[in-house]
Amino acid sequence: MTELTPLQNLWLSETIRLREEHAGPLDDLEANRVARSAGGDLPTRIQCRARWLAERDGQTRALKHWLQGARLALIVLAVLAVISGAGLAFAALGDGQSPVNVFWALGSLLGLNLILLLSWALGLVFAGEQGAALGRLWLWLSEKLARDANAAQLAPALLLLLQRQKLNRWALGVLVNGLWLLAMLSALVMLLTLMATRRYGFVWETTILGADTFVAMTQALGALPALLGLSVPSVEMIRASGDAALNIESARQAWAAWLVGVLLVYGVLPRLLLALFCRWRWKTGQAALHLDLNLPGYAQLRERLMPTSERLGISDAAPEQLHRVENAASDLQSDGALLVAIELDDQRPWPPQLPKSVNDAGILDSRESRHKLLEQLSRFPPARLAIACDPRRSPDRGSLALIAELARSATATRVWLLQAPPGEALDAERLGDWHVALQQLDLPFADCAPLSWLETGHD
Amino acid sequence: MTDAWKRPLKLAVVGHTNVGKTSLLRTLTRDVGFGEVSHRPSTTRHVEGARLSVDGEPLLDLFDTPGLEDAIALLDYLERLERPGERLDGPARLARFLEGSEARQRFEQEAKVLRQLLASDAGLYVIDAREPVLAKYRDELQVLASCGKPLLPVLNFVSSAQQREPDWREALARLGLHALVRFDSVAPPEDGERRLYESLALLLENSREQLERLIADQQAQRLARQQSAAQLIADLLIDCAACRRSVASEAEQEQQAISELRKAVRQREQRCVEALLKLYAFRPQDAAASDLPLLDGRWGDDLFNPETLKQLGVRVGGGIAAGAAAGAGVDLLVGGLTLGAAALAGAIAGGALQTARSYGSRLLGKIKGQRELTVDDSVLRLLALRQRQLLQALNQRGHAAMDSIQVATPQDKTWREGKLPEALNKARAHPLWSSLNPHSKVNQAERQEQVEVLAQQL
Repeated sequence: MTELTPLQNLWLSETIRLREEHAGPLDDLEANRVARSAGGDLPTRIQCRARWLAERDGQTRALKHWLQGARLALIVLAVLAVISGAGLAFAALGDGQSPVNVFWALGSLLGLNLILLLSWALGLVFAGEQGAALGRLWLWLSEKLARDANAAQLAPALLLLLQRQKLNRWALGVLVNGLWLLAMLSALVMLLTLMATRRYGFVWETTILGADTFVAMTQALGALPALLGLSVPSVEMIRASGDAALNIESARQAWAAWLVGVLLVYGVLPRLLLALFCRWRWKTGQAALHLDLNLPGYAQLRERLMPTSERLGISDAAPEQLHRVENAASDLQSDGALLVAIELDDQRPWPPQLPKSVNDAGILDSRESRHKLLEQLSRFPPARLAIACDPRRSPDRGSLALIAELARSATATRVWLLQAPPGEALDAERLGDWHVALQQLDLPFADCAPLSWLETGHD
Repeated sequence: MTDAWKRPLKLAVVGHTNVGKTSLLRTLTRDVGFGEVSHRPSTTRHVEGARLSVDGEPLLDLFDTPGLEDAIALLDYLERLERPGERLDGPARLARFLEGSEARQRFEQEAKVLRQLLASDAGLYVIDAREPVLAKYRDELQVLASCGKPLLPVLNFVSSAQQREPDWREALARLGLHALVRFDSVAPPEDGERRLYESLALLLENSREQLERLIADQQAQRLARQQSAAQLIADLLIDCAACRRSVASEAEQEQQAISELRKAVRQREQRCVEALLKLYAFRPQDAAASDLPLLDGRWGDDLFNPETLKQLGVRVGGGIAAGAAAGAGVDLLVGGLTLGAAALAGAIAGGALQTARSYGSRLLGKIKGQRELTVDDSVLRLLALRQRQLLQALNQRGHAAMDSIQVATPQDKTWREGKLPEALNKARAHPLWSSLNPHSKVNQAERQEQVEVLAQQL
């Protein structure tokens, strides 16, 4: 596989994008892998992927064929241009039997060229759509000529790519002006050859215009070539040529030099300058050509080719089983009833109104308060213990371990899952989590205050 | 790259159970499938990593850890590890703990968190801002602080009505943590990620460069996403505006054609919704568009609209101009019609003929009593509005969000009024531009141009 130029790379990427837009995503696992491992920035990776896919599916070959065809067409056009240029010179000078009418010769050498030059320039300036119209024409042609399904998206892709930087017109400008330049050069060479090998006499003719007009016109046209050092026929010579072709060498040479000079300055030079200008615009524009990464087709590739985030996998596996909190009722000598709350926030009024026989152990939150209560419970275990929990907190292992530890120091334990404060609702899922956790601990729970149970031992 | 890449910054995401650590990771990595999120405590029981890269260079490794659940008991245990007459600093004490057997039993999950934090450059301490500042959280912070790594508190659920941000700020300040970030992982603020990384850069001066690159890249990508999204929406609108159906003027057939058109537009909108979801890395089920209001259709009164006529002129004229500009004269000069000229002339004629034919057939249809059905202006406006709403919702949605976005029809009628953008009027005259029409040519450069113009206006 020969190296593709940057333009061809972009072109292939665009082709693949259109293809995917048209016919759905391609199977690109391997292409993506290749592109990822090749590295570089995103456009590089997209192009790498496109190259790989195009190579696999035959677009690269189609592109090469296409280019080959284009080159062939260019050669044919160039040959045509050379032939027509030469024909132009022949037509202008004739076979030398009769004297050459200089203005007729000039007209046939330059006329069509200037008219088409003008129309091209006007088109460039005024018709913004001109490039598009030409493009459509070309699209239509290539659609008719494309026998290969692989090549179907090639032409639209190039067009879209170039259109984005408005490069079509400059590419065409290079082509048109280059061909005309070739034609003009060929005409010039043929002109010189003919004039070198044949003898031409030059005349001008008129029916209604005066001789002065021709003198002025000849001198005006010759002014620019004169700057380049090409001679202009003298006034007497011009006047004399009005009657019949002068049969003197100096006059012939003067007229010939004038004709060559005018062709050079008004035929060859403009086309040369325009061709160079278009080529310069084309080259600079080509350097600025890039993939439009905002196109949805490319934006979607970013995650596949250059993921901004990827999973690294599990680095520390989960245990088979979490540490379980065990619960067992105390068989110690116990007495009395106790209410304790854990991890309540300060917005909730606590404790509720308690019967005399029930003691309040306050709210457990910090380590110190836990230690104090557990110490106390182990010395004076209660017969009945109610633990109030706020089910808005999550039933974490720490809280459950505390509940279990408290329960172990009492003969009977119940958990009181508090209601939500007014204006708020409990999260049903979280409440469910509490139920599951407490069931695993084998502790009875309720959402109403177990005060009568605390007081009397039964409901 | 001059030398080997800088090692990516390692961050451990730590916190109590059920505060949204995995959610935070999902949002930061824009990966809806990362880990497992549920209402149950201890959903995540392992340590799992995710990597953020810019231009293929890894910059940040984030590690999701199990929740701390038993910090009070752990702190108790840690303090008892100190032998009489010994003074251990935090990391030394943790090292002893991690070697011991409790690190594999009761405190197995806590040990995982601490090991990961010790191996990281810093920790993000995630807080459920709805929780009161309980003693267990303070103890948790104390245990984490003993790792000797910078901690950045991240307040999650700050958009909830029950959030207690001031309490948390005060409590954290008392513990010496003054920098903190508000970041709701379900509805992250637009500049949330930037603030988070900027705060991190303050804590980790050495990694400032990496974090700034990350910030810049994320900003660039946010913009790029918005532009791509605008193009997708513009594409939808052009498709619908250019769509047309030819139908005989009989009531029954009309009704059928209308319902078919409606179905086609509806499916096209769903395609756009799916493409937007994909672009924003959400799942297809994350948004659903409600049904379109009844389409009246718009009868083909635009057969003589200026754009259609202009198009006819431009095509014919353009073909000829193009021919001239292409230098058809080159071979005309030779005197006869060479092969090239014949082809070119044929092409010009062909282009014009094609246009005339399509226009002619429409005209013929009109004469034969057929009518053309197109999508009503107000439906186009509605589509634009709905997609814009969806886009806005996607921009504000975190990848941890579990609910589905409903794309509904707005109740007020203001959207029915106003002028349609020029690009849509143009599209009306180009049936070839709509992928909903048969024989469409959606790759035309002019269409792409109009899509871009429209995308700019969105």
